[in-house]
Amino acid sequence: MEYLAKNWVILIIMIVYVAFCLGIGQWFKKKAAENVDAFYVAKREIPGWAIALAFFSTFISTNTYIGQAGFSFQAGLSWAWVGVYWTGFCMISWLLLGPRMRSQTAKLKSVTIPDYFDYRYKSSFSKVIRIFSAVIIIFATLWYMAAIAKGCAHLLTSTLGIPYAWGAFLIIFITTLYSVMGGMYSVLWTDALQGIIMFFVAILMVMVPAMYVGGWGPLMDGIAHTTHLTAKGQPMGDGLMTFCTLVSFAYITSIGFAVGMKQIAEPRCLIRFYSVDNAKSMKFAMIATPILLGISLACVFGLGALVHGMTTDTEAAYLVKHTDQVVGFMLAKFGSPWVTGIVMAGLFAAGMSSFAAVSIIVGTAFVGDIWTLFKPMSQAKQVSSTKWLMWVYSAIIFIITLYPPAGIVELTAFSGAVFAAGFFPAVFGGLYLRWGTGKGVFWSMIIGIGTTLLWRFGLRFYLPGMKDIHEVIPGFIVSLIAYLIISKLTSGDMPDKEHLDHVFHTQES
Amino acid sequence: MDFLTGMAYWGIILLAIINAFIVFRMKVKIAGEEDEDEKKNVCSVG
Repeated sequence: MEYLAKNWVILIIMIVYVAFCLGIGQWFKKKAAENVDAFYVAKREIPGWAIALAFFSTFISTNTYIGQAGFSFQAGLSWAWVGVYWTGFCMISWLLLGPRMRSQTAKLKSVTIPDYFDYRYKSSFSKVIRIFSAVIIIFATLWYMAAIAKGCAHLLTSTLGIPYAWGAFLIIFITTLYSVMGGMYSVLWTDALQGIIMFFVAILMVMVPAMYVGGWGPLMDGIAHTTHLTAKGQPMGDGLMTFCTLVSFAYITSIGFAVGMKQIAEPRCLIRFYSVDNAKSMKFAMIATPILLGISLACVFGLGALVHGMTTDTEAAYLVKHTDQVVGFMLAKFGSPWVTGIVMAGLFAAGMSSFAAVSIIVGTAFVGDIWTLFKPMSQAKQVSSTKWLMWVYSAIIFIITLYPPAGIVELTAFSGAVFAAGFFPAVFGGLYLRWGTGKGVFWSMIIGIGTTLLWRFGLRFYLPGMKDIHEVIPGFIVSLIAYLIISKLTSGDMPDKEHLDHVFHTQES
Repeated sequence: MDFLTGMAYWGIILLAIINAFIVFRMKVKIAGEEDEDEKKNVCSVG
């Protein structure tokens, strides 16, 4: 009873939230089971506003609302420059990739990213590329999903006292359940709901420190000159509010690129373009997504710096070395169960939206891009196999979450670099360059991922001055150059003119 | 807050506004829309 008396507000908010997600899954259950097109891409009939929210909630995960927000406790308000990069990549993604990707994938009847490579390039290497890219998706996303489940499970433990293993089970089970029930329909519509929650939670979070100290004026005065110390024990002084005093611009740029580029390369983001219903919707989403993302990031990225206004010197000395705990500390110190409950719902929304998006991507990649190539099956069988595969994959994620390997967060960041190096040239070239070839795609993937691995494990931490240059940057540049050169050298591998005219017709007319 | 630090915050908003301006001026086309419209017309006639 004491437990319920203490946590009833948070429990009610969480139960209502989960009920909504499962309700959406149930609502679309029948429709999603109609055929592959319905389960994989929601028949390309989702309105632009929902896709904008879904893109935003899929790209942003719990790590942004806890990890990145908390890190500005150490880095100061300049940390928001990372948000500038992310918003820039969001714009690039929608302006350069969105409309063309929607058009070409509809023409080619593509329902996954690997099958787009296959149908678009029509090369002797097409099937190899399709299987290879599906394998990359399956293995690279494993760590990402486990990291999300781990973060959410820790959150349940710290706020509701639920044991870690049960927390992980609940998060994975509930998210997989509604994703399996309604396929891409429920993933997109729950993402849209989660996007709304996350947007308002970002605004609520940034207001907490100001409400605590009695307004924005006192808060900004309080952090303008502080006696708190940096992680290295130096006085912060006015560092929180002056440009790059506490963090290097090279590091900001590195994180800005490493994570921001996921929007132009990761299947969980790119697949959103497939489901937009028409040009008007596309245009709306192109405008709305950077606004949603930009405002949320502007609120979240400086949050840790603002929390200095709520802390004593002793508390700050601890938090500056444990920045992942800054948001939890802020909520505990503010002491409002309603605010905590609503923010918790936002944090779970951030985690679950990303988890669901990746879950369906893996299911469709395994069944649609590997299994069916070796054993063709009916559409009904393909949908049911995808559902089963999603459950099996979730069970594997659960086991990894129970015994997470050391450095799982680093593995997550690394997987983003693998996508940027492996997928971006193939996607961009496929959309814009008629002369891009399948051999160019294949070798750019191999060379790009190889460079990423080499930089991460062989050079970055061993060469002086290279530590702040994330592996995504050399991997991406080398991969792009490899695609361009090898495509030029293997022009015989280009698809025929009729195919290219069909693929490029709308954009060039 | 100095100019460059503040620039991150209003810069994000400025980027979103510039983006909106670019998209307003863009002609966005989606392949298959004409076909789908035709299909709908045929269905409604049929």
